Amino acid sequence: MLNTITRRDFLKMGAASTAVLAIETQFGPIASAAERLVEGGRSVNRTSGLPRSFLPSTCMQCQAGCGNISYIEESRVVKIGGNPMHLSNQGSLCARGQAGINALYDPDRLLTPLKRAKGVRGNNDWISISWEEAYNEIAVAFSAARANPGDFVFLTDDLAQDYLGRRFTNAFGSPNAIGSTGVYDANKLVGTQLTWGRAGDMPDFANSKYILVFGANPLESNPQFVGIAKRFVDAMQQNQAKVVAFDIRLTNTSTRANEIYYVNPGTYALLALSMANVIMQEGLHNAAFIKEWTNVSPAELAQHLAQYTPERAEAETGVSALVIRRIATEFAATSPATTVTDAMLSNYANGVQNERAVMLLNIITGNIDSKGGLCMPVQYYLAEPDPVPSSPAPSVLSNPPDLPFAYQQAVEKTMEMIKDRKHGVNVLMTHGVNPVYSNPDMGMTEDVLKDQTLIPYHIAVTPFMNETAVLADIILPETTYLEDWDIEVRPSPELVPYVSLKQSVVPAMESAKSFYEIATQLAAMIGGGMEQYFAFGSVENYLKARIANIPGVKQAGGLDYLKQHGVWYDPKTRPNYASYMAGGFSTPSGKVEIYSQQLAEKGFAGMPSYEPIANFRELGANEMVLSIFDTAIQTDARTGNCMWLDEIQHDNPVWINPETAARLGIKDGEVVKLTRSHKSGDAKERSIQSTAYLTEGIHPEVVAMANGNGRAESGSVAEGEPLNSDEIKEIEPHALQDANMKLVWWKEKGAGIGVNAKQIVPVSPDPIGGGQAWGDVVVTVAKA
Amino acid sequence: MAGEKLEMARARAGLYGLMSRVFSDKPTAALLKGMKEPKMQESMASFEVPFDEEFLAGDDEQQAEELAVEYARLFLATGSHIAPYESVFVRGWAEDKPQLWGEATVEVSKFYEQAGLELREGQTPDHLGIELEAVAVMAECEAARRESGDAAGAAGLEELQRRFCQEHLKRWVPEFCEAVSRQAESGFYRGMADLTASLVRLHCGEEPIID
Repeated sequence: MLNTITRRDFLKMGAASTAVLAIETQFGPIASAAERLVEGGRSVNRTSGLPRSFLPSTCMQCQAGCGNISYIEESRVVKIGGNPMHLSNQGSLCARGQAGINALYDPDRLLTPLKRAKGVRGNNDWISISWEEAYNEIAVAFSAARANPGDFVFLTDDLAQDYLGRRFTNAFGSPNAIGSTGVYDANKLVGTQLTWGRAGDMPDFANSKYILVFGANPLESNPQFVGIAKRFVDAMQQNQAKVVAFDIRLTNTSTRANEIYYVNPGTYALLALSMANVIMQEGLHNAAFIKEWTNVSPAELAQHLAQYTPERAEAETGVSALVIRRIATEFAATSPATTVTDAMLSNYANGVQNERAVMLLNIITGNIDSKGGLCMPVQYYLAEPDPVPSSPAPSVLSNPPDLPFAYQQAVEKTMEMIKDRKHGVNVLMTHGVNPVYSNPDMGMTEDVLKDQTLIPYHIAVTPFMNETAVLADIILPETTYLEDWDIEVRPSPELVPYVSLKQSVVPAMESAKSFYEIATQLAAMIGGGMEQYFAFGSVENYLKARIANIPGVKQAGGLDYLKQHGVWYDPKTRPNYASYMAGGFSTPSGKVEIYSQQLAEKGFAGMPSYEPIANFRELGANEMVLSIFDTAIQTDARTGNCMWLDEIQHDNPVWINPETAARLGIKDGEVVKLTRSHKSGDAKERSIQSTAYLTEGIHPEVVAMANGNGRAESGSVAEGEPLNSDEIKEIEPHALQDANMKLVWWKEKGAGIGVNAKQIVPVSPDPIGGGQAWGDVVVTVAKA
Repeated sequence: MAGEKLEMARARAGLYGLMSRVFSDKPTAALLKGMKEPKMQESMASFEVPFDEEFLAGDDEQQAEELAVEYARLFLATGSHIAPYESVFVRGWAEDKPQLWGEATVEVSKFYEQAGLELREGQTPDHLGIELEAVAVMAECEAARRESGDAAGAAGLEELQRRFCQEHLKRWVPEFCEAVSRQAESGFYRGMADLTASLVRLHCGEEPIID
């Protein structure tokens, strides 16, 4: 390092530098000197023109879309809280929502378009390019793809929420806009759709007096998380509702239940059907409702259920016949009552049947769309601005032929089909989705994405680098949800529909752009008629067009109202219980389809049935069922770069029952290896390692691990390193590293960053719902 | 004396401008070519960071391509990524982690406002390239005032630059440059990091400029 320098040297250097700058004309001064001082006392948000103190918006850190408020000081968000006005979360906001600041201000954010340097995908060699260059290159790729528009594949997280993505895909002429419910709750959506003609449900906890929890965990994870959790608590505290939980694990929810019972894995349907059997046998069912509003008679149903005796259920489920009879009786005798399920119930090969079996309990007791019962989801449906692109004919990707009910959602199947060359791809665009991490068989997904013969061109639209984006050819830095605009609607836990606004609470950072901008620009450049579907003129016009079919919003003040309040709903609206009275159910029969002709036609059991999981029979001495569960802290791949969340959940030890552990000679804290059993199919990775966490809180035949850990290519915080350790040639401490090391204390502790348990799970959808059967995997457990 | 100060201000503007350019975007062939000019190389030698012979002889276009990859790896993507923002290195008392738009960013932003500097939309105030350019602009203004005989104005700008040095650059730039120097695979970024560290140390008074 220099110790002294002469003035002459300095002057010469300065002159030479000025000369160099003059040669390179493309880079000009970015700051112009102004003589004026900025007036004090003003505090105006440049985006919305509102006083710069707080701005409501919609959180996107998970599925729920809660109303949030960003508190802004001196151009930056300093705190995020819940919006008290919002019908869903009513002012509360979970850890993820609070940690939105970590995402917005992540030092590892991508802020400029990146193009893959020469070499193979995954090398992580990039060069920055301008947006103009990026758009030009992408437009060229799309123009070439015009010859086979159906080979354009668009992967996104939630197809309902990503309207622009769907529209873009269809406008280009492809049916292949594919969402990710396949790796989340597709089976539940299909199960409910087949039964009462609507995808999903909404238990009316706030008015319930009895709640049966089947494998669900509303106090930690749910598509409407905070809103549903609050009302669940209301039920317990205000209604003194009795809660009985059936699960394979102790959760935040089940530990607050009045009674909790372990259920042998994969046997939920048998448990529910035996309870339904008891209710019918004891004459406790609502005969009138069954006769009038379902498509079977009580006698037919009782006959079908007779095979599911409590004794049989006791033998297979592990729940005693006495308990089955008592709980069934209590449930039927208490009004109002409801069940609650979520993806954990139906992420099995028999997932759809599990869902239909549990729904049956509500159906036969008349707790359907009733106050305090299991209600049909209620939400606004947004307008599609004219002109609307036509829906191209389905493909094997959008409608896999062997998954008749899995439309545009079986993303795990998508990767497999591409690998098996069942469908060609010319351009792949991934938007806010990370299939490498989120899908089963991570190794296979990676191989597919690395293979340029399978996927010639991959555009990743994302604010952050991740396991999928690192395999792209071009990365477009997207704005985070705090710098983005859209209209958001979700099923309402209040059973009153609402319109929520997602608005930019601070200007887009550096070169990040919203998907609206990206799609609009690309559509214009690709042209050939596509541009007409993205000719809104401004994002404001687009937003207004989306709410054009909800007259109340306009009357209240439209977009301006939403900007100020974050949410609109009709204050005069009350829950429309028994809505089916006005026109029946949206099923082929117009009734609740206890018997599904649609299922029978495809060769599946038409009545809710118990179909045992073959894998689970005769488990070997050290064979366990692997359960991967969601937490209240990490949302799969979405939140790994949020430091506050990583501090709470930075690794995922293996939950193992102490009896089981003793038998296997495993001590608490020891490193264990989980190896997928051969009976559980094939995935590239066969085993994972983590530390054992001995707890009574897990069924003796189950081992469980949290989802959301073991991130890679996701920045320093997610990876628990100040710098990517592969790239460091010699780690010599310097201040930044030191500072980060101290903050990322879990790395010091040796706990590591956990592991992506999903990588050893093979692609295996429920044949009915197309939803990945995460829960079917059998592993052997041994000391590593 | 005024003449000397004028020369120094101009030199500062040039140097800081160049350093700003280096850390704001990947290098172009034109930039590399300009830096390879003998006058520049002579100067870089006096700062102990000349290009080595191999680099001097190399093809500008190809080198620009290779350095673009390193630029992305060091400053843009994950990997060796060293986020070039003051708030990542200097944490406010209320902050528990390095982040963009931290308290330091606000301080820098306020400084620009007071100094009459205006940022283009979308820029982050405490990005290294922006901070270096801020000094370059202030130095230019200082030079302009000296030329027009406005001694008081010039002194004011001199003071602003001194303050910016002490309150901001000095707090993190040498440390940032050290990290870059360690992680850089190319002599180019190692050299530029060393040069910037020297420059800041000089300007911020750690090493005197001797006559």
